[in-house]
Amino acid sequence: MSTVASAPVKANRLKTSSLNNQLVNDYWAEVFEAKQNGKLVCWYEGVAINPLMQAADVAWVHGEAWSALLAARNNEEPAQTAAEHRGYLKELCSYARTHIGCGVLAQKRGAEASGSSFADALGAGLLGERVPAPDMFISAYPYCSTGQQWDEMLYRLFGKRIPIFNISVPWVWGNKKDSQYLGGSEFNEAVQFMVRQLRECMNFIAEHTGRKYDFDRLCEIMSYVKQAGRLRMEAMDLCMAKPAPASFFDWTTSLAPVNFIKGGPAIVDYFTKVKAEVQERLAAGEGAVRNEQYRLFWDGIMNWNKIGWLANKFAGYEANMVAGRYTHMGFWHEWESIDVQDPLAGMAINYLVCPINLSAPLMIEEIIKLCRKYEIDGMVLHAARTCRAFSNPQYLIAEAVQKRLGIPVAFIEGDMVDESFYKDEIVSSRVEAMLEAIESRRRAGIAA
Amino acid sequence: MPAQAILAQFEAAAEGPLSWATEWKRTHGTRLLGTFPMHFPGEMAHAAGCLPLILQEQQDPITVGHGMIYPFYCGYTRSIVDQACKGEFEALDAIMFGDHCVQVLGAADVVRAKLPNTWVHFYQLISSMSDPWSLSRARETFAQLKAGIEEMTGQPLADDAIRSSIRLFNRNRDLLRQLYELRREGRIQFSARQMQLAVKSSMVMDKALHNELLKQLLAQLLSARPSTGSGVRVYLSGHFCQAPKTGILDLIEDCGGIVVDDDLYHGTRFISTDVDEVGDPLTALAQWYLARNLKVPCPTRVDQKADWETYLLGAMERAKAEGMIVLMAKFCEPHMYYYPEIKEAFERRGVPHLLIETEHELNMLEGLRTRVESFLEVVKRRAGAPTRRVA
Ligand code: SF4
Ligand code: SF4
Repeated sequence: MSTVASAPVKANRLKTSSLNNQLVNDYWAEVFEAKQNGKLVCWYEGVAINPLMQAADVAWVHGEAWSALLAARNNEEPAQTAAEHRGYLKELCSYARTHIGCGVLAQKRGAEASGSSFADALGAGLLGERVPAPDMFISAYPYCSTGQQWDEMLYRLFGKRIPIFNISVPWVWGNKKDSQYLGGSEFNEAVQFMVRQLRECMNFIAEHTGRKYDFDRLCEIMSYVKQAGRLRMEAMDLCMAKPAPASFFDWTTSLAPVNFIKGGPAIVDYFTKVKAEVQERLAAGEGAVRNEQYRLFWDGIMNWNKIGWLANKFAGYEANMVAGRYTHMGFWHEWESIDVQDPLAGMAINYLVCPINLSAPLMIEEIIKLCRKYEIDGMVLHAARTCRAFSNPQYLIAEAVQKRLGIPVAFIEGDMVDESFYKDEIVSSRVEAMLEAIESRRRAGIAA
Repeated sequence: MPAQAILAQFEAAAEGPLSWATEWKRTHGTRLLGTFPMHFPGEMAHAAGCLPLILQEQQDPITVGHGMIYPFYCGYTRSIVDQACKGEFEALDAIMFGDHCVQVLGAADVVRAKLPNTWVHFYQLISSMSDPWSLSRARETFAQLKAGIEEMTGQPLADDAIRSSIRLFNRNRDLLRQLYELRREGRIQFSARQMQLAVKSSMVMDKALHNELLKQLLAQLLSARPSTGSGVRVYLSGHFCQAPKTGILDLIEDCGGIVVDDDLYHGTRFISTDVDEVGDPLTALAQWYLARNLKVPCPTRVDQKADWETYLLGAMERAKAEGMIVLMAKFCEPHMYYYPEIKEAFERRGVPHLLIETEHELNMLEGLRTRVESFLEVVKRRAGAPTRRVA
């Protein structure tokens, strides 16, 4: 097993990912200007329901994106402290704590309680000064009660005056014998229930904008989303090659365009370029890490404070994190189900099969397929301390891949945006033990 | 039967629910149907001839379960996973649950994986309570549950049978509420531990038997003269799926508190609301499900029509409680979310409260004594002084 080289090793990240920064900046710029441009602003978290808002010309603030942005700019602390002062304990979802903390800071300004501005959210930070407070909330959180309650808490924090719309996303459990991934009577019923609620949600938006809901526009937006979804999946498929030209870390930095960026030509263009770069690398035999020795799978949510750090850390081990539950089992990955003439059912399907909303047996089958497809040697399970939604099935997943695929696993602790839960020495020792196990399997001639 | 003997029966069921139920199954031949707390109606299972049993946190240390669930989960979910891994649910014919807290969803998956030969079904109740479709969706879920029970027993479930179970369960809630009312009024002497045993045993025991014991108990308590003990009137709030350790309840009373009321799940929350006894039973159950959240708001639901903190302030006033002790199970996310709302509302009104975080493993009683004593001191002093209200 190779150990971390003394000279810092850098992952060979996709160059096109940097174009994503532009898209993210443009998105926030539009959000900051929303009120001046006479737009209403909707706050929401969880799955990508933003096309619903976009079609009605409503601006949207995605809670996780906001918390992740603060973490990426090292500015999460004031918000987290504000939340702590109000009594939110550290064991609560760090995304929610950060986002609610911003709300607490905004409320402290008194006049802003009505929701006109979001100043002070980052101390004197210019960024926070410009994020508009909500005119409406839409809650559509799959699986995680904490997600649904996060919206409810914001609703309460803003004085219960701002309208809220709740979409209840059924968990895909499977009581019936015909239950299967994307199929069976229970799943079909859940899709229908979701479609009913999405229609009601369009009425809710129309009521608050005072304009008829533009369904044709939604269809058009979804046609871009579908193309972006397809291109992204195709680009990820190219990583079946050895060495894999891109890594899970590249795919996490490419999530924004399929998560909260406006559906339009820009997101299609983005994934066209990403795919082209992956193809170029493929032709040149260039991998995402130098001298790829191990192909790994990442189970769990991302640790946003540590993306670059982790990418380099695994590159140092000559280990390529080829795929992951977070990136490969969500974000319009079931793009084929979207009918651009009538996209609601396809949207519902994608929301229902997002990376946390499948019960363990269905989820495990999908993970095993991915491990086989990408010829995975080992699995890293990120036990995100404050995200039980992602942590819930991890022991079952680990048990299944060890038994059925014979691959070793490493559990590592961390969190989405609370850095204090990450302990690098423990991560190193767990990962090294796993790599050692892969080596011994190889010596014994078990693995490919 | 003397009150002590009745309480001993309650204790046997409350503290050893699985053995109690297994024995009942052996002697009565009924199927055992385990459920999760906190919103699942036992009425339908009872109507189908099963003994519905709300699965309880056990006190033993988590051992085997460590291999299936992380330590940063509430004691209830960890204990359930542990019991499933240790094979303790083997006597159950079915486990059917429908709650929504993300942690129990994790436990549900492990339970199904560990009990391949048991009928493990999930019926997810809508947790958003004030939407135009909340009622119809809840009814749909109960209809699916009914179909699942029918499939399990192989027998159709008649509306009349459900209505008759509803009547029996209403009677049980009513008797338990009488206990509460008499205690609130100071007409009977009944400790917090005893109250927990009365309610918790109702989650396990056959309802007809439980009703009979409750009737006898009420008669006995009413005939005894309550001692005129004095102390600080305390309201207990919190602890959802798991019952607070009885040691904590004893400690509060040892330190000079008199628990006069609570909103605990193993308490008022469980018995707050009755189900309509006429009409379509599925609709009645769906109405019950929504109505009880307005009676005693539950932090695991989202409901724009309910305010837990407002409810608590009102309930304290009704019970003439002087201070509130919040028992929060460590890692309980719904509680962590709502606690700041309560804290602010109570501070605004100048009503004293004390937050105690409880843990599955730790025997934290000694450290706690000083905190409870000084809290009760503060409350006593405040009660003597004119009420300070913060605008
Ligand atoms: S706990 Fe995880 S899934 Fe739930 S709201 Fe937080 S980040 Fe989302
Ligand atoms: S509501 Fe609280 S106690 Fe109940 S399962 Fe969820 S976290 Fe545990």
